[in-house]
Amino acid sequence: MMKDTADMRLERLLAVAREEHIDTSGAEEYFETRLLARIGELRDTPAWYAFVWKMVPMFAVLAVIVALSALTFNPSRKSDMFAAITNSQEMIFAGSYLAGE
Amino acid sequence: MDNSRQEPTDESLVSAACGGDDGAFARLVGNHKRRVFRLAARFARDADELDDLCQEVFIKVYEHLSAFRNDAPFEHWLTKIAVRVCHDALRSRRHEKHHMHLDDMVMELPDNAGNSKRETRQARQFLKYAMSRLSPDEQLIITLLELEEFSVREASAATGWSEANVKVRAHRARHALKRVVEEHDERYC
Repeated sequence: MMKDTADMRLERLLAVAREEHIDTSGAEEYFETRLLARIGELRDTPAWYAFVWKMVPMFAVLAVIVALSALTFNPSRKSDMFAAITNSQEMIFAGSYLAGE
Repeated sequence: MDNSRQEPTDESLVSAACGGDDGAFARLVGNHKRRVFRLAARFARDADELDDLCQEVFIKVYEHLSAFRNDAPFEHWLTKIAVRVCHDALRSRRHEKHHMHLDDMVMELPDNAGNSKRETRQARQFLKYAMSRLSPDEQLIITLLELEEFSVREASAATGWSEANVKVRAHRARHALKRVVEEHDERYC
């Protein structure tokens, strides 16, 4: 019974919506002018600019991959060839600073 | 018969527009905009969105005009694009919160179709709310089949879904819509 009522109500609802005339004449006014202006803007945009915008997600993914691989595969600083020099230089600088030189 | 005053056909306007004639394209738009506006108005939430949707449809038409083959009427091709743009718009707002709630919609559904304007407006509001509870695919198929009165074949051509798929989706969508109506009845009637 409930299902029948719901069916009938739904049918009435759809019938009302179907019969309703949506007036779009106001929105249609000067539509061609607005459209052609927008097309003109798109046409004036250089092709390379659009291409660069399209490539932005790819560059972003690439940057994330590079950052992750750098974090994962970066060799430890201690095993760096210049680590010893850098470390001793840092110690000299620290000593000079503390001595007020 | 005066052939010199004959309206140019869609095919001739398309080929002229492909050759860079903006006037021909504007004329093509003028000839078909009403149909696109009528369809998009079923999906748009306000006048700005309606304008955006229609512009997007015709920009896509403009960009792919050279791909149009004259083996089918221009109107069918245009409808296909319009349906796709509207479907994309529905999908893009899928994650938005429902702004309409059932509690805001305490109203009696009209007992007779074709009643006063107030009842028509209420029915439209309720349908809008009920539709917002459906998935984008369900909203699309209900709009095409029930409101725009597309045939199953036309809906299939416009959406790219098979006819069997259209029928299954339509059945499910109608069932889901009915559940919303029942829910409303249980709470307020």
